[in-house]
Formats: sequence, structure tokens, C-alpha cells
Amino acid sequence: MAKTTTTAAALALALGTAISVASLPASADEMKMEKCYGVALKGQNDCKAGPGTTCAGTAKKDYQGNAFKAVPAGTCTQMESPTSPTGHGQLEAFEETM
Amino acid sequence: MNRTPEADFRQALLNPELSAPAGLWAWNGSDPTTRFDVYRNNVIVSLIEALESTFSVVQRLVGEQFFRAMAREYLREHMPNHPVLARFGDSFPGFIAEFEPASSLPYLADTARLEWARVQAYHAMDAGPLSAETLQVALSEPERLPQLRISLHPSAHLLRSQYAAVSLWAAHQDLIPLSQVDPWQPEQALILRPQLEVEVIPLDRATAAFTACLIDGLTLGAAVDETLNTHSDFDLNAALALLLQRQALHVLSY
Repeated sequence: MAKTTTTAAALALALGTAISVASLPASADEMKMEKCYGVALKGQNDCKAGPGTTCAGTAKKDYQGNAFKAVPAGTCTQMESPTSPTGHGQLEAFEETM
Repeated sequence: MNRTPEADFRQALLNPELSAPAGLWAWNGSDPTTRFDVYRNNVIVSLIEALESTFSVVQRLVGEQFFRAMAREYLREHMPNHPVLARFGDSFPGFIAEFEPASSLPYLADTARLEWARVQAYHAMDAGPLSAETLQVALSEPERLPQLRISLHPSAHLLRSQYAAVSLWAAHQDLIPLSQVDPWQPEQALILRPQLEVEVIPLDRATAAFTACLIDGLTLGAAVDETLNTHSDFDLNAALALLLQRQALHVLSY
């Protein structure tokens, strides 16, 4: 493919047009900036062992051995998928990987 | 090999088949093994829940059971290496891409990348938009425009996916109906936090290619040439207007 070279004049025109289209705020100062972080996004704090629990150790047990069998079983099946044999997102059983 | 108590403790945290590290004792004389199991479980549960929180759309796509199983596998090799939990999970999208049981959902990894980018954008440095004055100064020297470099807002992340990761994400925010999403449609988006809210801005392929050139530090002239060479339908006016309007541009330099 032939290499294109854009001229300075073309860039000026494009940038000038873009500025008028974007109708920029005059300056950043006009933006009201008041940021109040809670502390973090939900679930990003330090002690998070689940609803109704404390860090004292009442979380539901979730680290038992490495044998598991699960299949993707969320909303993927609700999507139309013309290329999929089933017409929807697929579920496939799978074996333990470890 | 000389092992430290810390290394033993960490090893035992990661592997439930290992017994509690030696030398533990409880104030009331109860069995420290049981108490260590409680601690180990809490560590793992809290980290899995942190992943669920960051990657909530991924979780909904695969279901809770699958997600937790996948997260457990991830944790075996990827305990946090940074004290800020918001930075935990950076390698999770890559892990998902290689995770054999999830291979039937190839769009999952890019959906995770989008969610990760949103969290990083949320925690990125605050920065104001380019001022009109700055742009006018640049425009007053049109002969230098090809050499102009435009850097993006510190919160900006570009996602270019072979799949409809953006629509998948949007459907799970109830922005569009899930049943209308064709996951095999390539999509691109800019993730940005110009003010207080993280925005996901869909881009066409050419605009995404142009944005990638700017992120790579190309001059404006080189970025436009590069984009036009691969995307003959590139509309520079529209791309610049969109990036300006959404306050995606940050600093001009030569």
C-alpha cells in the first residue's frame, strides 16, 4: 500500500475543525473537581471475609483441595451466537487442570 | 536450604495439604492447626472476593461456582505481591486467556481486561483536560503540527478486542440487552476517568489504531500516516473531536 503523508495544513484543518466540533470548556478550572473516595472500591479493603463475618474466621470454607469440577454457567448462555452450533454461548464440561 | 519462618508460613497458607507451620501456639492452649486453617481460609476467601469485585462481569458470565474455582487456581501461583489490593489481579486476564476450562468462552479474557482497566482508571491520577488556550497555541504554529506529540490522560486505557468485550460489559450494566450481543464482533474502547466517573467509550477500529499510535508516543503526523496506511476509512476530524470532547487528551509537546 502506498505510504500516505499528511501535510501540516491538513493537520491544522483537522485539529481546527475538531476543536470547534468538540466545543471545549475554556479551561480546566471551570470543572468542578471534588473527589471523595470512600476508601476504596467495594471489595478492595483489607478485611473482607464476606457478609455477616468478621476477620475472626467465620467465612465460608473456600480452599479445600484442588479437585473441582465446574462449567461456565453464567450469562454466557443467554447470548445469541450465530457461529455457535447451539445458537448460544456454549457450556463445556471440563476436567481438572492441575 | 535455609528456610525462614515467614517462608514456611507463606507456603502453608498456599497449600491446604500442608500442616500448619511449626512453632505456632494458641493463647488458650487450643490446637493451632485448626486456627491456622481458619486464617488460611480467610486469606483465600478475601482474595477471591477481591477478584470477584474487580471482575464482576466475568463472574456473571461464568457463574459463581466456576469463577471461584478459577480464582482458586489463579491464587496458587499469584498471591498479591503489592500491598494495595486494588492492584491485585493484574495478571488475571492473562491467566483466564490460558485457562483451559474457560476456552469455550474466548471473549472472557478481554472482558476481564476491560474490567481491570476500569479499576486502574478509577485509581489513576487526577488530571484536567487540555485547555482551549493550549490548543490555540499549537494551532498558531501549523508548520510544527506534524511533530506535535499528544499524550493521553493518565487514566486512559485502550482496549482492542477480537470479541465484543465492550458490549458484553455494557449488557451487564443493563445498558443494552444481553440477547442482542454478538460476542464474535470485534470491538474497541477507551477507558477513561476525566472527572469522577470511569467512562467506557466505544471506538471504531481506525480511531482505536490512531489512539494506539498516540499512546505509543508517535508524533501527530506519524500517527495519522500510520493509521491511514492501515485504515483508509480513518476520519481524523471525527477522531480528534471525539478525543477532545471526552477529555481524553492531556499534554501537548514537541
